[in-house]
Amino acid sequence: MGLVTDRLPRVVENIPGGSILITSLDAFINWARRNSLWPLAFGTKCCAIEMLMATGAPHQDLSRFGAEVARQSPRQADFMVVAGAIVKKMAPRLRMLYEQMAEPRYVIATGSCAISGGPFMYNSYTIVRGVDEVVPVDVYVPGCPPRPEAFFWGLMTLQRMIREGESIARPNIRRKPVMAALPQGIKPEDFREEVRRLLEAENEVNVDEAAASKIWLEKVDQWMAKHLIKP
Amino acid sequence: MDGEALNQAVIALEPAAAKREKADRPAVQVPPEKLAALALALRDEPALAFDLLLDHTAIDWIAEERFELVYVLYSTVHGHYLMVTTSVPRGAPVVPTVSAVWPIAHWQEREVFDLMGIQYDDHPDLRRLFLEDEWQGHPLRKDYKDDHMLGLPK
Repeated sequence: MGLVTDRLPRVVENIPGGSILITSLDAFINWARRNSLWPLAFGTKCCAIEMLMATGAPHQDLSRFGAEVARQSPRQADFMVVAGAIVKKMAPRLRMLYEQMAEPRYVIATGSCAISGGPFMYNSYTIVRGVDEVVPVDVYVPGCPPRPEAFFWGLMTLQRMIREGESIARPNIRRKPVMAALPQGIKPEDFREEVRRLLEAENEVNVDEAAASKIWLEKVDQWMAKHLIKP
Repeated sequence: MDGEALNQAVIALEPAAAKREKADRPAVQVPPEKLAALALALRDEPALAFDLLLDHTAIDWIAEERFELVYVLYSTVHGHYLMVTTSVPRGAPVVPTVSAVWPIAHWQEREVFDLMGIQYDDHPDLRRLFLEDEWQGHPLRKDYKDDHMLGLPK
């Protein structure tokens, strides 16, 4: 059972003299979810080259994390990678794609533009200052653009969030957004310590409430009424 | 044809045109009412043969209360470039369209209308190109302001 104990933490536990299977359905579901995260690539700018093309290519190999199945369809996606600036005209489309995704759904905002508007923050008539004005964000990956390693750091942070996070009894209650900044000279134990510190802080967010409070919901409705829903 | 000769040829074609100083290529400025006739002549004159409108844009000279419209032309026959500019007052920015001369001007003029608010006489379909239809104002004007914009911190 040693192999299984490594692969299924919190489901199979070692006790002196053997192993015991503990029935923890939450842990099992979260284990399954976090190891087959399928991305929806929402690349609007140069971050998309780093995040969605370089990381998906064999050299960096996103499939090591079980997240290589980029099907370009929100119906099959578990998390959305917003890589690049979002403008006012794009925001309702982004929101609509987010709402088409099946729950549980996660959002990673990569790069300065997706986090805050980046260099276009001031004196811009069209930029949305941070994708979190449109959809709830789970993990921020800073950088301009972030390196592929930084993106993996963010993805692993999301996996930790899923492992520590939701339960069947309290769906959609999650930890607050995590800023996954990749420091210099990082070691695996530092990584574990940092993520534990971030996740153990007293912060939770109700994703449904956060999503419903956005002014962009109105804009989506207007946009859908104008462009799509024609009786 | 070299730069100075090109300038002289254009001025000979249209006496109201004048050489534009401060340009990195042969450049002339014309009054807006002569623009359409000059555009047609530049395209059809065999020695010039400017058959391609490479770029069309506008400059907002807000201190001088005028817009300067810039047309960058290229001849695929002779391989030479020419810049034609014309100035319109900021209060009433109206120029004749050149989309009948170069069809590519159709979209380029829509873009300039969208972002700078230049009105093109006789343009067949002058609608916004990039921004949404209900957008108010023309954001590349120097005096554009709206509620969404955030000024630079002091």
